[in-house]
Amino acid sequence: MWTSTQRTRLALEHQLLQVHEFTQFSVYHHAAGDTYSASGYASSNAGYKYHLYIPIPAGFPTQRPEMYVTEPNPLLMTGGVQINSLGVSHRMHALTPHACGWVQICHWRDNRWHSGIYLHQVFLKGLIWIEAYEQHISTGRDLADFVRTMAETA
Amino acid sequence: MTMNDPQQQQMIRDAMKAIAERRPGRTKLVYDKTKKTIVAVAEGSEPPRALNITADDADMFGVITLSGQWLRQEWHRLNGSASIAARFTSWDNGDAYTHYELGPQGGPTISECTIALERASEPAPRLRIVLTKVNAVGRAGNTFVATDGSIFVATAYEHQDGRDIPLDVTIAEVQPALSARRAGILETSVLSDRSALFIGLGTGGGYATIELAKCGVRRFALVDPDRLSVGNVVRHPGGISQVGRLKVHVIRDLILEKNPDAQVDVYPFAIAAENMDAIRPLVRAANVVICGTDNRPSKLLINQLCIEENVVAVYGGAFRRAYGGQVLRVQPRVSPCQQCFVSAMPEQAADVEISSPDEAEAIAYSDRPVAVEPGLSLDVLPIANFLTKLALLELLDGKPTSLDVLRRDYSAPWYLWLNRPESGTPYSGMPPLSDSSDEMTINRWYGVGFERDTACPACGDFLNVTAAAHGIDLDSVVIPSKV
Repeated sequence: MWTSTQRTRLALEHQLLQVHEFTQFSVYHHAAGDTYSASGYASSNAGYKYHLYIPIPAGFPTQRPEMYVTEPNPLLMTGGVQINSLGVSHRMHALTPHACGWVQICHWRDNRWHSGIYLHQVFLKGLIWIEAYEQHISTGRDLADFVRTMAETA
Repeated sequence: MTMNDPQQQQMIRDAMKAIAERRPGRTKLVYDKTKKTIVAVAEGSEPPRALNITADDADMFGVITLSGQWLRQEWHRLNGSASIAARFTSWDNGDAYTHYELGPQGGPTISECTIALERASEPAPRLRIVLTKVNAVGRAGNTFVATDGSIFVATAYEHQDGRDIPLDVTIAEVQPALSARRAGILETSVLSDRSALFIGLGTGGGYATIELAKCGVRRFALVDPDRLSVGNVVRHPGGISQVGRLKVHVIRDLILEKNPDAQVDVYPFAIAAENMDAIRPLVRAANVVICGTDNRPSKLLINQLCIEENVVAVYGGAFRRAYGGQVLRVQPRVSPCQQCFVSAMPEQAADVEISSPDEAEAIAYSDRPVAVEPGLSLDVLPIANFLTKLALLELLDGKPTSLDVLRRDYSAPWYLWLNRPESGTPYSGMPPLSDSSDEMTINRWYGVGFERDTACPACGDFLNVTAAAHGIDLDSVVIPSKV
């Protein structure tokens, strides 16, 4: 299923996470199904922990990987509404939620993704999203007020 | 002379043919007021009390077109029986009858026709083609050479109200007739062994397929999951009567309308990572891949496959609202690839049309919908035309052709076209076309060179370059396992 180039790329991605001191995140190999994921716990400035999970798609890196917040789950907005109930939401910069209810963070849209983007950049977007989410919780303002729609970065 | 006079009938036939072809004939038709009938007279003679008949008067006789290839295939049956039957599409209330076997799409009304060898069949059928043996091939289009070398001239009649009304009959030899208009620029069979894979059959992709079919390309593979919608009709080659059909089927039929000998394979599925195993053999079998999709994931997937299979790809697309467009040609590991382009010119790479609900939905949020943007077919076709030219040159690679002189002009990796100075774009301040000789204007193609990224993740040595830049020894990296 995986080409040697993909496996080497994933090894590179794992090591880049360590080099860039994103050591709370790692690429993992799941031997049972010969699948890969990247995940780890992110801590916000306020000290809360969130688990970010990226299942590596078969077409990676050409295909965009999805990033989910698996803990806490469900993830609530101010007022107690679950973010996943919004579906694809610009207000909360969220894409289609996972079947398990996990919120999918909008890091790059499909029409902006390309294979030159590294997983550590994806996790960085996840960290920014978490900070914006906590600002939303504090102020009640939309998460989109705190992050720009992500522009292309080559 | 009477109408039963064979010589007079031949003169009338010759005169009518000359009128129909708008050329001078040796005889002309007149209405003889004394005899109260039409007669043919030799040019120059002036019979008394006659009314000259012009081409406009004669524009009333129907035509019937029969496939010569089909007739040769069926010749053994005709030789062994009094007649054979054939189906014809009747157009325009009987003004034209076209052999159903000529193309893939018949018209709404089908007429049965009897084809006979001289022996008249009784009772007279409504449509009849009679083949009469002659000694030599004439210049007229109604001559047929049978499989045994015998030569026949065809005449046709439509039986109405107890009378036989003559029809102008043509025995169509399709491929020679089609090749005749290309010969000298594209030789008869130069493209017959070349194969083109089309990804996306929207306005541009659909147009490009048909143009290549006209050029003589015979092997097509078409990939597109979409169906033709009513809204497509103002841009797409498919028409309103085709709405609801898969675009691969609509385009297949249009290709066969232009090149009946084409081999067209259709694949109505999307370009997605889960389909890569199905798409890879199609790429491998192609001489060129023509990608007309507007979404980046499919372009990057095709880019990856084409690089891995070492197949040239050409990508074409309109900018938003079709204010302009671009064409990128990728020669794997020689010229910049689609990923190099995205990295080098991200804004141009992201400037695409939103021409369908699917494309709009792909970039919309549920709380921030994106509308399908207008765009004129007129503005897409220059891009499709250029895309086709580039694809044609790739298909001709290694074949001697007079189009080789174009290779110096089509040497850039990326081409830019502008239909109008769209506000909000870098081109809004362009001078008028008539005022500029060397500044950028509308309606000109610009070939733009840029360097291939040797560290490109798709076509370059990305892994080693990146690892070296970060001091990483790839051989020593171990990915941790997790249940």
